[in-house]
Amino acid sequence: MSTTGRVRTSGSLNRDGIHVPVILRLRTREAIAAYIFLAPFLIFFSIFVLRAVFTAMNLSLYDWQILKPKRPFVGLANYRELLGDEVWWIAVKNTIVFTFMTVSGTTVLALSAAIAVTKPIKGHGFYRVLLYMPALLSVGVVGLTWSWLLSTQFGIINYGLSFLGLNPINWLGNAELVLPALVLTTIWWGFGFPMLIFIAGIQGIPEILYEAARIDGAVGRQLFFSITLPLLRPTMLFVTVTGVIAHFQVFGQPFIMTNGGPGRASYTVIFYLYEIAWRAFRMGYGSAVAVALAVIMAFFTIVQFKFIGQQFEY
Amino acid sequence: MKTTHSNFYRHFGTRLFLLVMAIFVSFPLVFAFSQSLMTNQQVNRWPPPIIPLSPTLSSFYTLFTQPDLKLVLWLRNSIFAASSYTFVVLIICAPAAYAFARLHFPGKKALFGLLLVTVMLPSQVTLIPNFLLMKDLKFLDTFHALIWPGAANVFGVFLLRQFFMQIPRELEEAAILDGASFWGRFWYVTLPLSTNALTALGILVFLGHYNDLLWPFIVTNSIDMRTLPVGLQILNSSYAGQYRPLVLAGAVFATVPIMVFYIIFQRRIIQGVTMSGMGGR
Repeated sequence: MSTTGRVRTSGSLNRDGIHVPVILRLRTREAIAAYIFLAPFLIFFSIFVLRAVFTAMNLSLYDWQILKPKRPFVGLANYRELLGDEVWWIAVKNTIVFTFMTVSGTTVLALSAAIAVTKPIKGHGFYRVLLYMPALLSVGVVGLTWSWLLSTQFGIINYGLSFLGLNPINWLGNAELVLPALVLTTIWWGFGFPMLIFIAGIQGIPEILYEAARIDGAVGRQLFFSITLPLLRPTMLFVTVTGVIAHFQVFGQPFIMTNGGPGRASYTVIFYLYEIAWRAFRMGYGSAVAVALAVIMAFFTIVQFKFIGQQFEY
Repeated sequence: MKTTHSNFYRHFGTRLFLLVMAIFVSFPLVFAFSQSLMTNQQVNRWPPPIIPLSPTLSSFYTLFTQPDLKLVLWLRNSIFAASSYTFVVLIICAPAAYAFARLHFPGKKALFGLLLVTVMLPSQVTLIPNFLLMKDLKFLDTFHALIWPGAANVFGVFLLRQFFMQIPRELEEAAILDGASFWGRFWYVTLPLSTNALTALGILVFLGHYNDLLWPFIVTNSIDMRTLPVGLQILNSSYAGQYRPLVLAGAVFATVPIMVFYIIFQRRIIQGVTMSGMGGR
């Protein structure tokens, strides 16, 4: 019999106040072990996450520019400037429009693909693998490829549209069309992840529910709207929340494909943050932008949980 | 015979939809590959040629010989940085996840709550402070800047914790009776049962790092320290106007390793992604 075996027995006696020192020793040993297990993680977490978050909040109160030796405390002046910053609001508006279009398009496409792939047809495994493929590419590959597909003069997309009698369209150079073009690119790139999540969600619905509904006389579309869709609501919440969080941080597509243009038509929040901090070297103001971004994203996440979460109660 | 027929017609719409989706997904890549085998004159033509009638490797030749383009080196940098990072994340996160899943210690709830809060924050909040720290530590333009700042991967801790909690406790209790230490229970019992979760997390972490653009763009500077996504951006901004097939060849070159990786690990990748989405289940 090992010591730990005896300790376990005395554990039950603890309530009567017997053998307490032994228990304490075990508890302490366990706590010490836990902290040793956690130590490497906590060291990196404190330096690169905790300290960084507090530094960002602190920096946002200073006029901190890399090229200036003096970095005076300015209180909330950066935030006041942000409220009146026209470009910031353009970036916020663009990001919200982009996120809304991308998340709705992605969700519809991912759900349709997931439903199609889970039908009992030949080759569904192959389709699943193929349709997920673009999600593995880097934004560099996606951006390089799609800016050529979308080219005005020699773009294959405009060639396809010419059969519908349309004149060549300047997708990435037109302030009205640049966001939809980036949205299309992003949907192509990103629908694979929600598709896999929907597939798992659909496969998690017990077959017996469908059988019961069929006995009650439900068919095709009715089955979808009365069983599949309602039971996929938690999955839907997950997909939209993670989608909003991911796409709100869009950077690579405008950075590579449009450089924020034409004009400022494809400026996004992170693109603007990059520009302030690494093209204008204003680290204090950039930190204010980053903190404001965190606040906006927290707001959207809470709203979604409230809004969709409430509808989900039966 | 009759059933297969009716089955075929019943799922006709589905088949058609999947076919359209397959074309939508693969056409851009096929088109980029096909045009990377053409000359500049062939590409700049209307209608856009899809099939290379006289395929040439000249843009790939230029890609590997142009002195300001170092795609092979960038690929090596990317692979080295991403695999070191993945290794570090697994080593750091697995014990922490075990502590959260199995051990009792004061402050556990508070600490876990803190992790939950930080995972809701966009990572860009830490961008400027961590950049300034890299600068002060003289880590800019070195692999240190690409590896350490993301090492505390909170998502990784959540995923592994969820997985560890589903391993039956009885398996560990046998080890406790044999007198195994906490480390022994973790190392000899839990970890060997978690290879699926560790591989899945490893693949996701690797791909995430390998495809990252903004952070490596900010913290690297010299042409020899760039990673592949950053290099592609440079390639695009310097050559897209004058030599399009070269840019497409770069995209193809960057796609090939990922495709090989995907073909080998497709099941694990798909399982891992699904697992990450279902909270480790």
